[in-house]
This record gives sequence, C-alpha cells and structure tokens, in this order.
Amino acid sequence: MIQQVENPIIEVHDLSVSYEKKPVLWDVDLSLPSGKLIGIIGPNGAGKSTLLKSIMGLLPLSSGYINILDKPLKEVRDKISYVPQRESVDWDFPTSVFDVVMMGRYGQLGLLKRPKKADKEIVMDSLSKVGMEAFKDRQISQLSGGQQQRVFLARALAQQAEIYFMDEPFAGVDAATEKAIVELLRQMSAEKKTVIVVHHDLQSVARYFDWIILLNMRLVASGPIENAFTPELLQETYGGKLTLLTEISELIQKNRFPNRE
Amino acid sequence: MVGDAISHAVLPGIVIAFLWSGSRDSVTMLIGAGILGILTTFLIEFFTNKGKLQSDASIGVTFTWLFALGVILISAFTGQVDLDQECVLYGEIAYVPLDTIVLASGLDIGPSAIYLLGTVFILVIAFIILGFNQLKITTFDPQYAISLGISATLWNYLLMSFVSFTTVASFESVGAILVVAFLIAPAATAYLLTQDLKKMIILSCIIGILSAIGGHFLALSINGSIAGAMASVAGVLFGIAFVYVRITSRKVAKITSAEPINA
Repeated sequence: MIQQVENPIIEVHDLSVSYEKKPVLWDVDLSLPSGKLIGIIGPNGAGKSTLLKSIMGLLPLSSGYINILDKPLKEVRDKISYVPQRESVDWDFPTSVFDVVMMGRYGQLGLLKRPKKADKEIVMDSLSKVGMEAFKDRQISQLSGGQQQRVFLARALAQQAEIYFMDEPFAGVDAATEKAIVELLRQMSAEKKTVIVVHHDLQSVARYFDWIILLNMRLVASGPIENAFTPELLQETYGGKLTLLTEISELIQKNRFPNRE
Repeated sequence: MVGDAISHAVLPGIVIAFLWSGSRDSVTMLIGAGILGILTTFLIEFFTNKGKLQSDASIGVTFTWLFALGVILISAFTGQVDLDQECVLYGEIAYVPLDTIVLASGLDIGPSAIYLLGTVFILVIAFIILGFNQLKITTFDPQYAISLGISATLWNYLLMSFVSFTTVASFESVGAILVVAFLIAPAATAYLLTQDLKKMIILSCIIGILSAIGGHFLALSINGSIAGAMASVAGVLFGIAFVYVRITSRKVAKITSAEPINA
C-alpha cells in the first residue's frame, strides 16, 4: 500500500542506500503530503534513521534522488530542520542550554557575525515552547534525558523551518516530556508545518500520527494512518517476529479507531 | 591525542624537506612538516571513517608508522643529515635565544622563534575568532552542522591543519614532548575549572603561561631540564585543580543531600 500524493512536499525516488556494499534501503519510492505529522515505523535495523539521514543529505546515496519542495536539498536547506538522536552528541561538551539552542540560528549567521537581538528573542521563544526557559543558563552536562531532548527540539524550532525531521525524539524520555513533545508536534502541525518522526513504539503510533511510512529495508507502506496501520501491513513489516505479531494484533484492536484529542 | 600523533608523524616530512632542499631553513622544514601533519590527520580520519577502526587505533597505526619512516630516513642518510632524533623529540628550549635573526645591517632583532611563533599565534587567534561558532557547532554536533549547510569535514580539516602547523612550528624550538604537554595539560586543567568554552580557552592560555614561567624558575633553581620542569609544573597545576574540584564538589553534594531533611 504505497499512496503517492499530488504536489508532494518531499519526493523520494528509487532510493537505495548501502553501508559497505550491504544494502540498508532498497528501492524506496514515496511522496509525502505537506502539513502532516508523519511517522516512520519499522523494526530495529529497518533503515528508519537511514531514510531520514538520506533525505537530509547526511549519507551518500547508492541510487535515486530526493526532492524537497520540488527542489534539490541544497536550495531548500533553510526550510528544513533536524533533531538528531540524543545519544549522537557528547553532553559533557562545555556549553550552556542557551548556546545550544542558538546553534539553530547559525545557519543564518555567516563568519564573524554575532547573533542579533532578534536571534536571541527567537531562542528564548523556542525555549519557552518546550518549557525550558528557566534552564537557559544551565550547563548541558547537568540535564536529564528528557531535558536534553527538549533542548534539541528548541534548537530545531529556532531554525524556524517548514519541515522538521526528528530521529526518535521519544527514546528514553520521561512521561511528562513525551506529553510535552506530542503537544508541541500537534501545535506545529496546526501551523501547517510538516513533521517527520522516526518512531519506535507501536502502542502510540495511531494516537500520534496522521500518515505513516512502514519500512523494513524495502518500503512496505506509505499512506494515511487509517489505510496503512493494518495488521497485514504490520505483519509484512515486522515479518517472522512472532511474539511481536501477537502484540501488534492486540494493539490494533485497541487502537483501531483512535480518538484524537 | 591527534596533537601527539602529529608531533611524531611530521618527522619524515622534516627529513624529506631537508633532503630535498639541503638546508635547515625553518620555513622549508615547516612546509614539509605541515604537509605531513595534514596527511596524518587525513589518514587518521580515513581509517576511522572508511576503515571502521576505532579512533585510538587509527591514531596509533598512523603516527607510529610515519614516525618509524622518519627514523629510517634519518638513519639511512645520517651522514648527510645534520638532524638527530634526540633534538627533534626533546628539543632544547635553552638554545632558542641564541638562534637570532641578524639583519644585513648587522642589527640583531632577537630570536627567530619569536617571529615564527608570533606569526602562528596571530593566525591561530584570527582563526578562532573568525570561526568560533563554526568550530563549536561542528565539534559538538557535526551531523546537525551538516544539516545547516556548515561543512563539518572542512572545519575539522581546518582545525587539524592549525593543530598541525602550531605543533610543527612550536616543536622546532621546544621539542615534541613539551608541545604535547602544553597541547593537553592546560586545556584539561581549564576543563576541570569551567564549563564555558570561551572562559575555558582563556583560562587554558593563562595556565599555559603560568606553567612556562613556573617551569623556567624551577629549572633555574634545580639547574635541570627546562622542558621537563615546564611540563612538570603543568602536571602539578592539573593535579591541584583536580584535587580542588574534588573537594568543592563533595561540599556541594553534602548540601544537596541535607536539603530533604530541612524541607
């Protein structure tokens, strides 16, 4: 079930990516609608993060191309924003919360340019959106996992982009942070931003996303949640993992027609 | 540790530059060493990224191999080369004031090391001021930097080239061991004392200057090796900072553990 859309915000065409000659993504061809909350779902090692990184131009492609807003990545870099996995950086780096969020403005600043007052206001505004303004002078080494994730989100917000890519923003965060992040995602979606999230937890998929991409090296499905989040497609995605399959069918019963608050 | 690697790996560059030009002119040697320094960085990055080696393994393989090559070159052409490993490795800072530049008019304008290292100093400061944001973001989160359109590879190579040139220019006058000591010890001490990058840079400069002055007087008083005394003082300063931070952080821990009782 791969549903293509008219006027896609992102178009991935015949994408294959491999590490050391071993393919990780194989012939992925999809198009995504704008203004949606999109989840990338699949088992460990399915290439979820790889897909995200390929779209962001962080990995060399074996074949295929990607267009964002009908243009190659280089021309639209200022319209996209990235939230990497929390573990990807050294949190003992000597810097403060404010400075990390200010990095979101660096794309607009050139050599030697110092942040202006407007940049500082954007940074404070982004911090307040994730409820971290009280922590602005805190050293990043003194943050909890959930707070680290909020700082990363604030940094992405400070870019004031159109499209947001988030790599497992819910991994290892507390319940309060998860709730805060979900609210933020809904708010962004209401402002017609497109948010693409690599997600791990099947339990919450139906509650969080409008559109899902099911991935296991190959693209299994890409479509609106009501069409793509089905037992057959999930079985196809998660393949022979039997213990998981029973869990999945239970989940689907529970989440079949989710209420969206 | 890349600084350590570079300081050893540039040896073949120095020897080849000498063999090729036949002079011990410092600019020629600096160019030879600088090229090898960048090559070292490039090889280390290459082994780490493409060869999937751990970074300490790729550093170890690269610099020992290049250093060994340098030693062979020196021993094979030992008759023609007025260079010895001892001098390259340990340097002799006491001779620096003797190697002066004398103008055609006969005027002595002071040690050549001052002009060479002074130039490097100004270049490094300019580089840090100009590229502060870029250096910071590419070090902290290279993938995010790339997503903003800031090339992490470019800035990493620029940084490593500067480390390479600074190392080469300095060890020509003070020897590799002092260079490595001063690349790492003052910065490590500053890292213990502050968590702000700008303060850390300034503080490590101050600690470096204190180590140099302290080491100089220590060497005078015991009539020992100047380089050894300076590196020792840098180590002692690190030790003091370490003990100081341990004691103060224990105090903080006591206060926080008492808080719930008061509340």
